[in-house]
Amino acid sequence: MTYFIQLLISGLVVGSIYALSALGFVLIYKSSRVLNIAHGQIIASGAFIAYALTVYAGVPLVISFFLSMAITFFLSMAVERVFLRRLIGEPIISVIMVTIGLMSIIDGVIYLTPFGSTNMSFPKFFPPEPLNLLGATVSWTQVVGVILTAIIIAALSWFFKNSTLGISMRAVSDDQLASMSIGISVPKVFGLAWALAGLTAAAAGGIIGNITGLNFDTLHAFGIIVFPVVILGGLDSIGGAVVAGIIMGLIQQFAAGYLDGNWGLQGTAEVLPYIILLILLLFKPHGLFGTHEIERV
Amino acid sequence: MATNRWLATGNFFTSYKEEQRIFLTNIDRLCLWLLIAALYAWPFFVETSNKGMLVLDNILIAMVAILGLNLVTGFAGLISIGHAAFVGVGAYTTALIASGLGTDHVFLTHAWPVVIVLSGMVGAIFGGIVGLPALRLKHLYLAIATLSFQMIFQWVINFSKLFNQGQTMSVGRVFWLTGKVGRKDHYLFWYFAVLTIVVISGFLVRNLLRTRYGRCLVAVRDNDRAADAMGMHPGFTKVYAFALAGFFAGIAGSLHCYLYRGAGIESFTLHQSISYLAMAIVGGLGTLSGSFFGPAAIRLLDLGVENLSSWSSTFLPSTMNIATALRPLTFGLVIVLFLMFEPRGIANWWRIIKSYFKLWPFKY
Amino acid sequence: MRKMLMVTTIGLMAACFAVTTAQAETYKLAISLAITGPTSDAGAPYAKGVEDYVKYANDEKILGDDEIEVLIRDDQYKTDVTKRNFEEFLDEGIPIYLNYSTGSTLALKKDFEEEKIATIPASFHAGNLVDSNYIFLPIQSYSNQVIALSEYVVNNNKGGVPKVAMFIHPSAFGRGPVEDTKGAVEAGLKMDIIEVVEHGKDLDTTATLQRLMSKGVQYIICHTVQSPVAVLLKDAERLGIIASSFGEEGKITFLGAHYTGGNDLIDLAPTASANFYWTTGYTLTSEPGPGTDLQLMIAKKYGRDDKTANSHNYTNGMMVTQVAIETMRRAKAHGKEINKATLYDELNAMNGDNAYDPLTTTGPVTFSKDDHEGVDKLQIYRVTDGVFKSVGEPFIPKYAVKK
Repeated sequence: MTYFIQLLISGLVVGSIYALSALGFVLIYKSSRVLNIAHGQIIASGAFIAYALTVYAGVPLVISFFLSMAITFFLSMAVERVFLRRLIGEPIISVIMVTIGLMSIIDGVIYLTPFGSTNMSFPKFFPPEPLNLLGATVSWTQVVGVILTAIIIAALSWFFKNSTLGISMRAVSDDQLASMSIGISVPKVFGLAWALAGLTAAAAGGIIGNITGLNFDTLHAFGIIVFPVVILGGLDSIGGAVVAGIIMGLIQQFAAGYLDGNWGLQGTAEVLPYIILLILLLFKPHGLFGTHEIERV
Repeated sequence: MATNRWLATGNFFTSYKEEQRIFLTNIDRLCLWLLIAALYAWPFFVETSNKGMLVLDNILIAMVAILGLNLVTGFAGLISIGHAAFVGVGAYTTALIASGLGTDHVFLTHAWPVVIVLSGMVGAIFGGIVGLPALRLKHLYLAIATLSFQMIFQWVINFSKLFNQGQTMSVGRVFWLTGKVGRKDHYLFWYFAVLTIVVISGFLVRNLLRTRYGRCLVAVRDNDRAADAMGMHPGFTKVYAFALAGFFAGIAGSLHCYLYRGAGIESFTLHQSISYLAMAIVGGLGTLSGSFFGPAAIRLLDLGVENLSSWSSTFLPSTMNIATALRPLTFGLVIVLFLMFEPRGIANWWRIIKSYFKLWPFKY
Repeated sequence: MRKMLMVTTIGLMAACFAVTTAQAETYKLAISLAITGPTSDAGAPYAKGVEDYVKYANDEKILGDDEIEVLIRDDQYKTDVTKRNFEEFLDEGIPIYLNYSTGSTLALKKDFEEEKIATIPASFHAGNLVDSNYIFLPIQSYSNQVIALSEYVVNNNKGGVPKVAMFIHPSAFGRGPVEDTKGAVEAGLKMDIIEVVEHGKDLDTTATLQRLMSKGVQYIICHTVQSPVAVLLKDAERLGIIASSFGEEGKITFLGAHYTGGNDLIDLAPTASANFYWTTGYTLTSEPGPGTDLQLMIAKKYGRDDKTANSHNYTNGMMVTQVAIETMRRAKAHGKEINKATLYDELNAMNGDNAYDPLTTTGPVTFSKDDHEGVDKLQIYRVTDGVFKSVGEPFIPKYAVKK
């Protein structure tokens, strides 16, 4: 029973970290229909910026963590301004391609720094003792990850629901032409979406970096790992990303906990999410919470 | 009016049949035949190096794969993020034949064209199966079906003993009229073989696009409801688009397996799929010529930035990582800048150049 | 214009110089490895090791007046690119080749055979040696490393048969040693392999650890790369189940093969790596000796940072270069021409009195027709106070498998 609870809790915790990593992806897709292939690289950059601030500049870890979120916020905004602004109105697939190129560019920039090919880890910050929950244990890093996810999602929900800017972002995601005609600046909305995505990516990077240590390969792989999460949730739904993240976390933990090692199976956590995704998409072609498109001839 | 078939400054078609010609003018036809002849002839006049031929072989194989990808993503508008897996299906079909019959079995070494076509067919079957969700799914959700196939493919290869757990499964050397193709001629031989396949495939695709089935693809991409109303079956069209893509990918995979004399999972990963997509987009989606420009451009760019990086390492301080970082950096930068100024790909440049000559001396 | 003038002048001068010292030859040494992309954390210092040792050999005139030119190519861990680089190196006329990844070594195995070129890879995969005459592993294979760790467990476990779990990379690279260790168990190594866990990209391995604990596992032998081990160790630390001394009752002792350890592991999990047992065939700068002095001296001479200078991958890159250059030196000393065949013969003759001690390894390098694993002796290291310290003397695993 404890084992089951442990798997459950671990699944929930890992799932919310997935959700946090997926958020940035959804934000960009929601506003501009672009799949951001370079998302993993932004996650990694966030973690590295936090580390550089802490270790090289001597800023306390908590402050540098939030600073890194602020920095990636502006960096992503700059990326959108420099590379993607020109492409508004061009075929979406070209824009996706640009993010592939962007991935290579960020790779290059990171290989310029020592982070590209060395391993590091954040200084110890959280108490090493685990937290006990119904006999299951979680680390403080993970708890902070969950709380942070909750806060960011609450803030975003409020933002999209109540602020003018948030509402205009929703309007743009609904219909670009119509929102332009009522005076919403679409480029500004795209910039903001990228900036917010950068912010959440940095938060995710900080948390993941604390768990796995700072290794570029490990960190940027999370850009791909969140793919099924995003789709399962329905590409453009923030709430969906959270639910799907948690579902994915649970599936992976239970698969690793109960399937691996039995019946000659191994590594099912890597592939099961995709199998479930395929089956689910047959029944719900727009993911769990994705918008149903109304098509007209 | 009998128009001059050599020099036409504009379109003077009087019948539908005229518009459907493969070549608009005889000059077009002549240029293409000359180009093909030159491609076949040059290795006899220039001394070739193994590395150079390997690079060319690779580009040609990628062209075959991209022809398929362009059919499904460019013409039918279905994004595929699993193309490397289809290429892998072809490669592993060949590798399985090798491990089943023995790496130097006559069937494999003498009847290699049959093996290649067979691998293409297996690729087509898998393509069709993966395309099935297209009956219900649309846009990016469909892309994810292909992504799932990519991941499941990698997992299966990586975990089953049958596929040597992703380690290289080797294939023997083939025979030709002149006997066994040895190490020295290997790359040259495959240059001619792949070139022939590229030419044939190119004509196949060009002709396919002139038929009802080819136009179906485009109609479904542009508006599948409208296509439905006009009596096409969008679901079926999508499935066969995937099957066709799988066919070309399978052929490319089999060629890859023969060229590298083995199949290993490293060549068919998600990363590779993304770079196939990159080739298709840079070349120009939905254009036939783009399928040839894209692979050449990306592969040569990759080679170029590699040379740039190793050249710069001769004078940049080796204590820093500038030279190594230069490679991904310039690669990405070139692609991004190119697409920022030419989002339609190289094929668009080609179109502009062609029109320039066609309309000369008038301005484009 | 001025630049062109400069280049021409330098070129002319070089040409004149080449004419005056007519007899001095330049030999090429080539390596293709992942300096960027996956596993670049190992590849980057490895490349620097190769580069620096070649410079050192040229400066010290190890080959007399002859020079060595090193060709280092980044293949980004892509087999296709490795093959391309290899073909180019062959066109350049290299007499010996250094390779990197397991995948590319296996994929190019046939080419090495056909070209009859001796190859020293950075991958110690036992499968490299199957059906191959030209691949030389610098140290014992992964399989023998895992077997060495198992033997260490069996010999030092107090009371009863030790219960062991294995934590491996989800690929052939990870699985190979498992089969061979099972073979060793059948051959008489008294050890229970309770479970083999293949990791994914895990963020939380708590449940796995609890399951292994409940099954009574005392030792976990890891064979993968550093990052997953760091996650495992951190979770174990949090659960308080890392043994503080070898084989501590009710706790788990963690051990790992070559690519799980080194300073990279300590960097990734500073406190959790305490008491981690690791085996390799290289000397470490945390245990100073003549080899590490040489290494640190070279690193300092060519301006490497501390991290690189102390990396075991730097040692590794240096050592394979040492071996390659030593074969050239010997071929020259024997009055033979330096080419593929002579270097291959020199490698195969590197045994008995001719064994080569590069100092950077825990034992002499011995190769012969049927021994293609260089350094036979493996040293066990243990993390004490944040550095790897050696435990006991280097030894040759008794149940070592030969391929």
